[in-house]
Amino acid sequence: MAVIRGREKKGGGEIFTASMADIVFLLIVFFVLTYNTEVDRTQVDLPETWVRTEVPKKAAVISISPPDQGEVIRVSTGEEMSLPVSTIEEVVTFASTVVAQDPEKEFIIKADYGVHYEKIDSVLDALKQSKVKIIYLLSQQKTVGT
Amino acid sequence: MSVFKGMKREIESEIFTGSMADISFLLIIYFMVTSVFSATRGLDFALPDDDRETPEIKQEDSIDVFVQPGGDIMLDGNLMPADQIDEQLLKYIADTLKDNPKKPVILRTDPEATYGNMIFVFDILRTPVEDGGIKIETISIPTQREMQNIWTMLGIAQ
Repeated sequence: MAVIRGREKKGGGEIFTASMADIVFLLIVFFVLTYNTEVDRTQVDLPETWVRTEVPKKAAVISISPPDQGEVIRVSTGEEMSLPVSTIEEVVTFASTVVAQDPEKEFIIKADYGVHYEKIDSVLDALKQSKVKIIYLLSQQKTVGT
Repeated sequence: MSVFKGMKREIESEIFTGSMADISFLLIIYFMVTSVFSATRGLDFALPDDDRETPEIKQEDSIDVFVQPGGDIMLDGNLMPADQIDEQLLKYIADTLKDNPKKPVILRTDPEATYGNMIFVFDILRTPVEDGGIKIETISIPTQREMQNIWTMLGIAQ
C-alpha cells in the first residue's frame, strides 16, 4: 500500500506571471489615453437621445441639478471645477466673460431630464444674450425599448 | 603585475524589476479611481449669428411644435399625444415641407414641461435622413423672452 510513499513526486504548482507586466502596462496605456478630468461632479440623469455628437473637451459647462436637489446651476469654464451661481444674471456675466476671452467657445448644458424647462429656458436665454455660438445639450445613448 | 588576471570577478549588472509590478498596479488603481467615464456626447445646435440678417419668421410660415407638460405636443395648434409623436411627427412635417422645403420648425416648450420632454421631441426632429429622418432646413428654439418680444411686437397679450 505505502510502497512508493517516500518517492512521491512534488507537483510544480506555479502560476505563470511573465505576461502580467504586459497586461498591466496595456491597462495603464488605456487609462492614460482615456483619462478625463471631471470639472463638474453634479449627479444627473441625462435625457436619452438617438442623435449624439461628440462634445469638445474644453467646452464650458453649465450644469443643473435634479429638481429634488433644488435645480442648482453650476458653471465651469471647462478647465476649473464648477461653482454654483444663485442668479441667472451671474450666468450671463460668466458666459459673457468666457465669450469675451474666446468668441468661439462652445457651451455644454448638462441637466437632469426632470428639470423644469423654465430653468433651461433661462439658461438658454442667458447664453443667447452672451452671444454664445454653439450649445451642446448633453445626453446619454438611447437604447431600444427605452 | 598580472597576478590576479585569471581571478578577475565578473560583476553582475542587473536592474531590479521586482517592484515594477507594484508600481504598475498602483498607477492602475490611481487612474481607475480618478478617471471619469463621463458622457461626452449630446445634441448640438448653433445659435443665429447677430451679424447675419435673420429673416423675420411669421408663425403661419412655419411649423409650430409646442411641447406640453407630460410630453404631449401641440402641432400647429392640434394636439398630438406623446405616444404618437414617434410615428406621426416626422410624417406631418414631411407632408408640410413638400410645398415649402425651407419652412422652419419652431420648437417651443411650456415652462412647466420637463427638459426630458423637450429633448425627446428635439431628438426626433434631428433624426438623420439616413435613419429615416427628414431634412429640416431650420429648427428654431426661441426662449420665453424672445416669444414675449414677438407677442408684444404683434400686439398680442399672452
